Amino acid sequence: MSILDDLKAIEAEAEEGLRNAGSLDALEQIRIAVTGKKGSLTAAMKMMGKLAPEERPAVGKLANQVRANVDAAIAKRKLELEKAVLAARINAEAADVTLPGRYLSQGTQHLISQIREEIEDIFVGLGYTVEDGPYVETTWYNFTALNAPEDHPSRSAKDTFYVVDNAPEGKESHVLGESDVLLRTQTSGVQVHVMENRKPPIYMICPGTVFRPDTADANHLPQFTQVEGLVVDEGITFGDLKGTLDYFTREIFGKDRATRYRPHFFPFTEPSCEVDVSCGVCGGKGCRFCNNTGWIEILGCGMVDPNVFRYCGIDPEKYTGFAFGIGVERVAALRYDLPDLRMLMTGDMRFLRQF
Amino acid sequence: MRVSYEWLKSMVDVPENPVDLVKEFIRTGTEVEAVEKVGANLENVVTGYVVEAVPHPDSDHMWLCKVSVGERNLGADGAPEPLQIVCGAPNMRTGLHVVVAMIGAVLPGDFKIKKSKLRGYDSFGMCCSGRELGLDDDHSGIIELPEDAPVGVDFSDYKGLSDTVIDCEITPNRPDCLSMVGMAVEVGAMLDEDTHIVLPAVQHEEGPDASELVSVEIADSGLCSRYVARVVRGVKIAPSPEWLAKRVIAAGSRPINNVVDVTNYVMFLTGQPLHAFDLGKLVERDGKRSIVVRAAADDEKLTTLDGQERVLTSDMALITDGGAYGVALAGVMGGENSEIDEGTVDVLLESACFDPGHISRTSRNLDLMSEASIRFERQVDAEGCAAVADIAAALFESCCGATVCPGVVDVYPGKAEPAVVTLRPERARALIGADVPEEFMVRALTRLGCTVSQADGALAVTAPTNRPDLIREADLIEEVLRLWGMAEVEPTLPAARNHAGGLTVEQQRVRKIGATLRAAGMSETSTYCFAAADDLAKLGMGEDGKGIPVEILRPLVADENQMRRSMLPGLLRSVAFNLDHGVSNVALYEIGRVFYAHPGKSQPDEPSFVAGVMCGAWKDDEWNAKYPKLDFFDAKGIVEQVLAALRITKVRFKSADPEAYGWLQPGRAAEVLGQGEVLGWVGNIHPEALARFDISVPVIAFELSQAALLRLAQRELPYVDVPTLPGVSIDLAIVIDESVTAETLLQRIQSAGGKLLKDARLFDVFRDPIRVGAGKKSMAFALTYRADDHTLTSEEVEAAHAKLVKKVCAATGGEVRS
Repeated sequence: MSILDDLKAIEAEAEEGLRNAGSLDALEQIRIAVTGKKGSLTAAMKMMGKLAPEERPAVGKLANQVRANVDAAIAKRKLELEKAVLAARINAEAADVTLPGRYLSQGTQHLISQIREEIEDIFVGLGYTVEDGPYVETTWYNFTALNAPEDHPSRSAKDTFYVVDNAPEGKESHVLGESDVLLRTQTSGVQVHVMENRKPPIYMICPGTVFRPDTADANHLPQFTQVEGLVVDEGITFGDLKGTLDYFTREIFGKDRATRYRPHFFPFTEPSCEVDVSCGVCGGKGCRFCNNTGWIEILGCGMVDPNVFRYCGIDPEKYTGFAFGIGVERVAALRYDLPDLRMLMTGDMRFLRQF
Repeated sequence: MRVSYEWLKSMVDVPENPVDLVKEFIRTGTEVEAVEKVGANLENVVTGYVVEAVPHPDSDHMWLCKVSVGERNLGADGAPEPLQIVCGAPNMRTGLHVVVAMIGAVLPGDFKIKKSKLRGYDSFGMCCSGRELGLDDDHSGIIELPEDAPVGVDFSDYKGLSDTVIDCEITPNRPDCLSMVGMAVEVGAMLDEDTHIVLPAVQHEEGPDASELVSVEIADSGLCSRYVARVVRGVKIAPSPEWLAKRVIAAGSRPINNVVDVTNYVMFLTGQPLHAFDLGKLVERDGKRSIVVRAAADDEKLTTLDGQERVLTSDMALITDGGAYGVALAGVMGGENSEIDEGTVDVLLESACFDPGHISRTSRNLDLMSEASIRFERQVDAEGCAAVADIAAALFESCCGATVCPGVVDVYPGKAEPAVVTLRPERARALIGADVPEEFMVRALTRLGCTVSQADGALAVTAPTNRPDLIREADLIEEVLRLWGMAEVEPTLPAARNHAGGLTVEQQRVRKIGATLRAAGMSETSTYCFAAADDLAKLGMGEDGKGIPVEILRPLVADENQMRRSMLPGLLRSVAFNLDHGVSNVALYEIGRVFYAHPGKSQPDEPSFVAGVMCGAWKDDEWNAKYPKLDFFDAKGIVEQVLAALRITKVRFKSADPEAYGWLQPGRAAEVLGQGEVLGWVGNIHPEALARFDISVPVIAFELSQAALLRLAQRELPYVDVPTLPGVSIDLAIVIDESVTAETLLQRIQSAGGKLLKDARLFDVFRDPIRVGAGKKSMAFALTYRADDHTLTSEEVEAAHAKLVKKVCAATGGEVRS
């Protein structure tokens, strides 16, 4: 048998082996057996030296040819086998993608905080600052400086939580259950603090907790949240109040909602009004949600009363301004049609995690 | 204020349909609470005639009647047929004209009339008493209509009961609108219509002058600015004429008798509360009755008309008989001892103006509100007292058969000149932001009863005396704006020159705290600021540094009479709420205030805290994830994340002293420090404290001072270059005494590692009495060595590590675990 035949046989054998190699391991065995250091082809090629010089070109050519063929066949088969392995792995790894994902849940922000921040962001966008004030307030800031007459019914212990005044010297209250210190019934007092401490222009809101002695029920909480707003600048008009609150209501309730301004009375604004937004359920036609009026009351507002300016040391001839107060729970209740406001205060995870 | 449309119509031209007026009310600022059709609910209630009434065969007090209702009931032949009605009224008799509620009628109180059977006889309706129809309180028998009453017409139409009442909510600045006259003027202004108000006048006066019969003294002019007394004699107490009763009913009152009804009617008409005294019940002194208005004495007593004995204070105004004893609680309610009754003959009529402040306080202190007190506390028109007394006298004359004595006794210490207010039309336009013509302003104010004249390019306006709310230019501008129409003003946005807004850094950081807590898995909640007096004691939390409580004078719930000094009790109640409702995984946080009061200071400190509570697990186990029970280190991890988010450095967790932190479980409690300052605490709530809040599962909590967090927070930390050179990791397990804390060991490692040690991560803590030894623990760290300027050689790493091991073991008494 000639060496040429040997080479051809090695090639054929290798090809046969590769065809049958079912795994990368088997393939490697074949590679070692053929082209490895002690492989059959390697051995055959080592024989080259022993050949007659005239045989060498032909044998060398064939040997190189066989070597190239075998290498290529191994590479090709390796690729095939690798693909098969990958395919098998992919097949094995296939999962039911409808199984639930795995994650650690984020917590949720309280509904009232969410709306409070939303309101803050709307007014911050209009260039307002966000202010704060004490919850335990004096009658001066909660009532007197806001132009509420000394004997205004809203001062009654029925409508205001009074607390023990720890420094009552020189003060006197004629009415049982009242004192000069109270839980603020409105965030409006912050207006006074800000005006006392800062020169106009003032563009501010004050979101915060307020208290009124209403027994908690589906529609009332003794502790709830208001956002007070105040603008004091030269040349502020009632039109500016309307433009600002129109912008606010559309941002918070939707671009398609209309507003209505109804004259009203608040001691600290003159003129005063209440603002209604068109009902989102019926679009203003009238339904159960809006008591068949087509409108839903959302806030109170007005032009700052000159007396309030005077109490705070601001010249009402030079400056004008407007103020408004928004009930945050009311916005929440309207947006979600909440059946019972008390759920806002229980800490029930099932409620909180919905928002 | 209940406004009868029929009554209003008599004083000003109004639209045919009340709904159109309601729109105008809303536009101009009178809130409408309800529009009621009065009489409309008496459908199927008709006039009838008793054709026959015979005693019921099976009853000793009932009648079997045939009652004709004319065409309203037709027989099979199409001809009118009387109804068979079984009736128990004592005054039932043949030939009576009656009011019949036919089948299908619904009487007040949702009383539905149906076909019924009474002692074996069918009854097809009911003959009605005044009470059954809601007309009056009379239930002694059925209503007897006059003999000329038609048969078979709607009772509402017959009686003229059909009316519309618009129930208006009147704001406290508008006492004028608590009267029909005031309402007519308001409606005239909103509709731009003239009013035609005709008031009754006394026809005839006779007898002695009032001043010969009555004297009036106001002992304290601060209580009463005017007191007008008139006297009428010979009243005949009787039910009021129908027109009067009807108006009193429409206004929301109940007819009593003609004298009382006249005083109520005139109050509804004019807004001036009146009081009628039985002159005969006042003591005659020198031929005169003497009214003295004085302050009550403390603890003085008066039994008011409602039969209640009231204990008075010196802040209350009392109408007294000659100064001796009270006969009426001024401006609030009359006294029983001078009440009008069946036997009243002569009447002393009071038309006075009491101080709003005193009336308001009296009403609040006695918890006694009346139609009178509502009006006085909003201020009545002192100028009008005498004229109103005349109106009442005229009605006593026409409705009560009284003879009016000439003259009035009028004591008026508080007379004030009406103010002239300057209205600059330009200023009005500037404030409103709309081009309202001056002519409109003049016209609108004139319609409201103001006198308007030109003065130096402005308007000089004198408001009517019943408008105490119109005393400044701003008040007049409001009137102009609301009548002009707020809808007519174009919306604009302020220019806001030279102003910038935005959230402060602190506000942004508070938001960041919340965002971090939520990202870490906690949900925000909101709890009440109210607290029970024993809340802190229940927790085992001391009061040191928490001042004294803010005490609520009249709490809604007796045991929530303070403002909280810790947020923890409220949060624990939320935990208990969840557990009680089957929710076992709870992770809640709240950012809120607590209240520390101090003796000698009116207002408390109100520091804010960031507090959290957690129990259960982050989640229930899932098909591919298991969630261990939350423990101390979950809460600590949350705190660490918050501090990291705020870039607070030099953070330490120090084992909390059980003496100072009694509400925490010893050994599972830490004080949180940043840069040496105490920020708060984190730990397991003491099981005994939990039991007192009815919680039986472990709860871990934290409370951090918001002020301290914000004080230590930093905008940024210095940038550290990302390493480009490879590091070498070596694991080191050291067995040490239990008493050596992780903090101590880590400090030793870090100081011993020198510059080359870049990281030491604790990855295992292992205890085993045999393999590690009793009282000992093995702590395993993954150490990373790296140089900043060259790749470390293995010799360098080995040298550094050997040095570290030697130093750490020497310093801690530990040894390397092999």
